Amino acid sequence: MVFERKQPGQWKAGALALLVHVLFLGLMIFGVSWQNTEPSGVEVELWSEMPAPARVAPPQHKPEPAPKPEPRPKPVPPEPKPEPKPEPKQVKADIELKAKEEEKKKRREEELKQQKEKQKQEEEKRKQEQEKKQKQDEEKRKLEARQQQERERVEAENARKAEFAAQQSAGQKVLDDFTGRIKAKIKRFVILPPDLAGNPQAEFDVTLMPTGEVLNLKLTRSSGSSAYDSAVERAIYKAQPLPLPPDPGLFGKFRELHLKFKPREDL
Amino acid sequence: MNVTQDLSFLSLITHASVVVQLVMLGLLLASLMSWWYIFQKMFAINVAKQTTEKFEREFWSGLDMQSLFQKVNSRDAGGMESIFEGGFQEFSKLRRQTGADVALVMESTRRAMRAAYHRELDLLEAHLPFLATVGSVSPYVGLFGTVWGIMNAFRSLSSVGQATLAHVAPGIAEALIATAMGLFAAIPAVIAYNRYSSEIDRLATRFDSFMEEFSNILQRQVK
Repeated sequence: MVFERKQPGQWKAGALALLVHVLFLGLMIFGVSWQNTEPSGVEVELWSEMPAPARVAPPQHKPEPAPKPEPRPKPVPPEPKPEPKPEPKQVKADIELKAKEEEKKKRREEELKQQKEKQKQEEEKRKQEQEKKQKQDEEKRKLEARQQQERERVEAENARKAEFAAQQSAGQKVLDDFTGRIKAKIKRFVILPPDLAGNPQAEFDVTLMPTGEVLNLKLTRSSGSSAYDSAVERAIYKAQPLPLPPDPGLFGKFRELHLKFKPREDL
Repeated sequence: MNVTQDLSFLSLITHASVVVQLVMLGLLLASLMSWWYIFQKMFAINVAKQTTEKFEREFWSGLDMQSLFQKVNSRDAGGMESIFEGGFQEFSKLRRQTGADVALVMESTRRAMRAAYHRELDLLEAHLPFLATVGSVSPYVGLFGTVWGIMNAFRSLSSVGQATLAHVAPGIAEALIATAMGLFAAIPAVIAYNRYSSEIDRLATRFDSFMEEFSNILQRQVK
């Protein structure tokens, strides 16, 4: 009896297996963030307090000209006074006179009304103008405050920059100082080869450890005399540990040094 | 100093040494195969369970045994059905022969059922040893790749002179990928192996008890 039966779902199983692997690979490639770059160092300055802003405004900053308030519309000249009432003429006809008087009265009332209206309008106008003026003043004040702030900020920044530059120059000074000391110490160990002609210069790249030991030494430019090159190289190793500033924060400047040596140098 | 080296996953693999790459390739194939079998077994065991449950319901529903046999015979039998099929076939054949001894009839029926049972189990258990092998061996294979890669990393280190972490790190990282792949292949395989073998065991006990019950029923019919 031949016994054979098809296993269910062969292709489905294969497809699912492939899917699992593709998913896993995708996870590995895109999901896991492999570290590709060194996190760059961040320079931080510590401030105990904000520097007092200098009184003098920095020259590069000119306060923007305040927008000129728009010319205020001239108040409208008051309306001409209503015409003087015409003298009531003596009219014979009583009725006529009465009628005329009534008419006059009416007219006067109308005129009065008109006058009142005009006054009202004027008042409104004045009010509006006042409001406008207030608004403008307020804006002006705000703008000035903003400018003041901006000025203070710029001043603070300038002061900070100046201090930073001072620090930098101090660091440069220390660097020069200790580079000189390192070179001097190395020079003490240099045994000059007897047949050295001229004053050739050898240049070295030195990588230091924080303890002052030499981690790596590379001749970047030969002096032309291999005897002198190797003499300096030996001297560098012999001069270990090299003098370093006591402040470990400054070591970063000394990690990699570029040193030049001449056999006869007026230090 | 080359601190900022490319440590992306693909470049680590492509820069690995040939032996490590071969190990990785083998592990990838093993992983693919084992996952294939895992899914295949999953479907097969599910189907076997379903058919067994269905057949048990049919069997105990009080259906006439002859008609049940015809029904089962007509379709593609699997699991408990084929045990029933083989047993009943043998039984009815022997019954038709005159003068058969009861003990002999029962004995050969049981043998036929045993044979069907073993075939079923064999089918269910196929490829399980592969899963067991992958589960137990692939961590070692991965470890071998890792050790080899680290050996190479240290050997190349000796020529550098000034050893920094940046010189060793890529070599070790690419070597460790081999271990990761070995574990990736092994863990699912072991889990699947344990789970499937326990499920197959349970199915086997079900088949066994069915065989006993079925032979009792047949014996009652003979008398």
